[in-house]
Amino acid sequence: MSQFLQATIYGLLQGGLLALIAVGFSLVWGVMNVVNLAHGSFVILGAYVGWKLNSAMGLDPFLGMLVAAVVLFAVGYVLQRWLINLVINGPIFITLLLTFGLDLLIVQGMNIVFSADYRSINTSYAGDSLALGSVRVPVGRLLAFVIALVVTFALVALVNRTRTGLSIMATGMDRGAARLMGIRARHAYALTFAIAAALAGMAGTMVGTVGTFNPAAAGGYTLLSFVIAVLGGLGNMYGALVGGLLIGLVEAWGGQYLPGTWVNALAFAVLVLVLVFRPSGLVGRAYYAARQEV
Amino acid sequence: MRSKSKSLSLVAVVAATTLVAAGCGSKGEKTAGSGGGSGTLTIGASMSLTGALAREGALTKEGYELCQDKVNAKGGADVGGKKVKLDIKFQDDTSKPDTAAQLVDQFNDQGVKLILSSYGSANTEAQASVIERNGQVMADSAGADNKIFEKGYKRTFAVLSPATEYAASIIKSIKELAQPQPKTIAILSADDGFSKTVAEGGAAAAKEAGYTVLPTQLFPNGTSDVSSALTKIKGDKPDVIIGSVHLVEGVAIIKQAKELGVVPSGGFGETVAPPTPDFAKTLGKDAENVLGSSQWTDSTKGSDKYFGTAKDYAKDITAKYGHAPDYHDAEASAACLALVLAAEKAGSTDADKVRDALAGLDTESFFGHIKFNDKGQNVYKPMSVIQVQNGKAVTVWPTDSAEAKMIWPGTKQ
Amino acid sequence: MSSEARTEDAEAIERAATGRSAREPAWRRWLPFGLLLLGVLVMLGLQSQLYSGQERTVSAIFMFVALAQGWNIIGGFTGYASFGQVVFFGIGGYFTAVAMSHWGFNFWVSLVVSGLVSAAFGALIGLPLLRLKGHYFAIATLGVAEGMREVVTNVPQLTGGGAGISVPTVGKDATTHYLGNDGFYLLYLLVAALSVLVSILVARNKFGFALRAIHQDEDAAAAMGVNTTRAKVSAFALSGLVTGLVGSTYAFQQVTIFPERLFDVDITVLMVVMVVIGGSGTVLGPLLGAVALQFLSEYLRRNFTEVHTFILGAIIIAAVVLLPQGAVNYVREARQSGEWSLLANVRRYRL
Repeated sequence: MSQFLQATIYGLLQGGLLALIAVGFSLVWGVMNVVNLAHGSFVILGAYVGWKLNSAMGLDPFLGMLVAAVVLFAVGYVLQRWLINLVINGPIFITLLLTFGLDLLIVQGMNIVFSADYRSINTSYAGDSLALGSVRVPVGRLLAFVIALVVTFALVALVNRTRTGLSIMATGMDRGAARLMGIRARHAYALTFAIAAALAGMAGTMVGTVGTFNPAAAGGYTLLSFVIAVLGGLGNMYGALVGGLLIGLVEAWGGQYLPGTWVNALAFAVLVLVLVFRPSGLVGRAYYAARQEV
Repeated sequence: MRSKSKSLSLVAVVAATTLVAAGCGSKGEKTAGSGGGSGTLTIGASMSLTGALAREGALTKEGYELCQDKVNAKGGADVGGKKVKLDIKFQDDTSKPDTAAQLVDQFNDQGVKLILSSYGSANTEAQASVIERNGQVMADSAGADNKIFEKGYKRTFAVLSPATEYAASIIKSIKELAQPQPKTIAILSADDGFSKTVAEGGAAAAKEAGYTVLPTQLFPNGTSDVSSALTKIKGDKPDVIIGSVHLVEGVAIIKQAKELGVVPSGGFGETVAPPTPDFAKTLGKDAENVLGSSQWTDSTKGSDKYFGTAKDYAKDITAKYGHAPDYHDAEASAACLALVLAAEKAGSTDADKVRDALAGLDTESFFGHIKFNDKGQNVYKPMSVIQVQNGKAVTVWPTDSAEAKMIWPGTKQ
Repeated sequence: MSSEARTEDAEAIERAATGRSAREPAWRRWLPFGLLLLGVLVMLGLQSQLYSGQERTVSAIFMFVALAQGWNIIGGFTGYASFGQVVFFGIGGYFTAVAMSHWGFNFWVSLVVSGLVSAAFGALIGLPLLRLKGHYFAIATLGVAEGMREVVTNVPQLTGGGAGISVPTVGKDATTHYLGNDGFYLLYLLVAALSVLVSILVARNKFGFALRAIHQDEDAAAAMGVNTTRAKVSAFALSGLVTGLVGSTYAFQQVTIFPERLFDVDITVLMVVMVVIGGSGTVLGPLLGAVALQFLSEYLRRNFTEVHTFILGAIIIAAVVLLPQGAVNYVREARQSGEWSLLANVRRYRL
């Protein structure tokens, strides 16, 4: 029983962090119909920012992640405003290809600048764990989980309550109408992408704290973001949270009760089943289910 | 189709054809003979400079480059009475086995018959079959999986100890030096071919030594989450946990074992990861007293005319690249050295003569003993077992090259 | 869309009704086949000029031509972007490897059966998945491909798992003599020519027009009497067949194969990049895209060893921004409208 509890706790904690990584991806896809294949590289970029600050100035990563968020926000804004906006009216594969090229560029850039060595951000407390009965709760992962939750809820509040957020949602629903109402669509799109990049960067720093990373790790995070975003329904931030937690649990339970290497197969099986039987995702209706998707 | 589109298609097909033809060059370019003509000893090296193995590939390149520097500093290798300079041609295989194999073929086209392997067992295996077909010769620096040598290849020679020794040497060191002896050993392994061979070797050695061996727990290669495997063995309370891993999983085992409260009384022993500087840097205090196996350490016995002793080698690497040598540097240099020595012994750069010279090579070097059995493996060199003490990897076994005593039990209760 | 498209629609309707066009003279109908034959002959001639290793490089180009053409059938013509196309490559490859090493099949039988197995798999998963649209379909196929990789990794008794599996090429176990670089050059050329042939045939018969109709407006196509499910599934199976044949050949050539390589998502992405940069939904587009991109990446890798991937990424970005509709379509439309400026091209698709 304690093995089950341990796996569950671990899975939830991991899932929360995954959700933070995926929520930006889901937002971008939902609002702008852009699939950002470079999303994972933003995560790793954030991890490097946090690592550099930590190794150069000793800045604690849980503060460093805020800096990473700001840096990635700027990067994301520039990329969307002056690069991706150039092709956004084309067929969907165009943005796919653009972000693919971007991913190559960023990952190789990191390879060249930082080398392929594995890095990790060490803190004195992240490896400790709290004991709840026979179950251990790692401090670093717990912190990451809490922050992920807080940020997701903050994002939902931003999107639903502020004018900026509403303008983003409106642009996603009907760009033409939004422009007619005076919303600057280019800016709204750039903001969306910037927010997604900032969240990815923040999550990246936390990833660096709980594990190791190097440029080659970017692809895995993009893949996970795909899975979670679809599970939760595109553009649906609570959905991304649920999707992330679900994937975390599936991987943890799967690892416990199946031979260790079947875990990934299970995650993909879940994805395909959900898509076949409930294509708009697990949580309610996706905001943009009504939009023409081709 | 309109006539414009038709002529467009015609133009396009012709253009494509010309492009392909132009890019491939004409047959007249082939240089005669192997070794690149007089005056240089040309060796081809297909490296993993980008992709998943970029880090290890970079270290391998360092090893090859240092070898080139050292040999050329003495004016070159002494082949057939003449001094020939070493010229290593590097190409990137992007960490993919099919590209690695393709590069070997491309080297063959250019008349380069002497090859230094890429990094890792998968790439080396792909290259070995091409080497065999083309009549080239390869010195294997990083492909340890025994499977490569079960195929009857006669032209690939590995300077490094085979995969089965990686975990087995840790077990042997525990058997010899640990007081009190542990009883139960748990083995965790990544699921790639190399790691599985290592795990099998370790399990066999442990059974032979009389320990109780729990069933090996597998996890996906490259994962940073080994919590499931750890949770499964927690209840069995193993005395020692052996990890057949690479750097990422190795770090994950130590970190997550601490998080999950899995504390084996004898501590941890891992392959590949502990000897690297990154391991101690990443884990800090938690890396203390972890055992590791290494193909080479700077206290390995032996010396040769180009590199000197192991300590000299360490100094040279640090001076040239700014970091302490990893055994990946050393095994790469050793492979290059083996080729050079074989060419000198054969008195020629002809592939067949070098191949025979390699088969009969029996020499000491900074890397230890270099000699090959009839399958092409170097079973004459023991692996070293290190332990992380005060943030540094120190050799603790074999005892005749040990720098420090093994601290046992590894984990303080 | 341009006037050419409207005339093409009219032709399409006429062709769908009668199976051939009254307006096209006979010699023009045979032109694509003639060009294909010419291309094959040129490649055969080229072989005598190439070294062994260069043959291998050109074989890789042929391989990607075939892969791109295969993807184009489902992604380009039908408009269903499959992001898991590599699953057919992997199934074809692994089936051949398993059949040759465990069941003693010879390669040629394995080749054909692998293609059929891949096609059957395509039909099987196509039925549930082709109900999805757009990005959802893409992700579902990606999930299938990744999942299949994991499955293959986890049945080591059959597939060797993470340690890989080897096709026997020496000794008494070898059922087929290893083809060598010369042989594989020819085989890949054959498979590539076959894929282009399939593409030409699909492009100009009723089936192909049904696919294009589905791409443009699926509901309208259904209303016009096209059995969309059957068409889509058949397209998917056909693309699976082509891709499976390539995979089978690849497995034999590599001798030892691993799941991470045979189900590598990078291969799918490369296929998509090649088709889109060349011009999707055309016959020539994937061909040109495959040749250009493979050639380019090989050239970069050899001459800019340290930074080749970085440069490739930059080039892809530039190509996508300047030529979003692909090279072939760009030239076609530019001839049509007389507007050749790339900047105008950029202005067309930007926000």
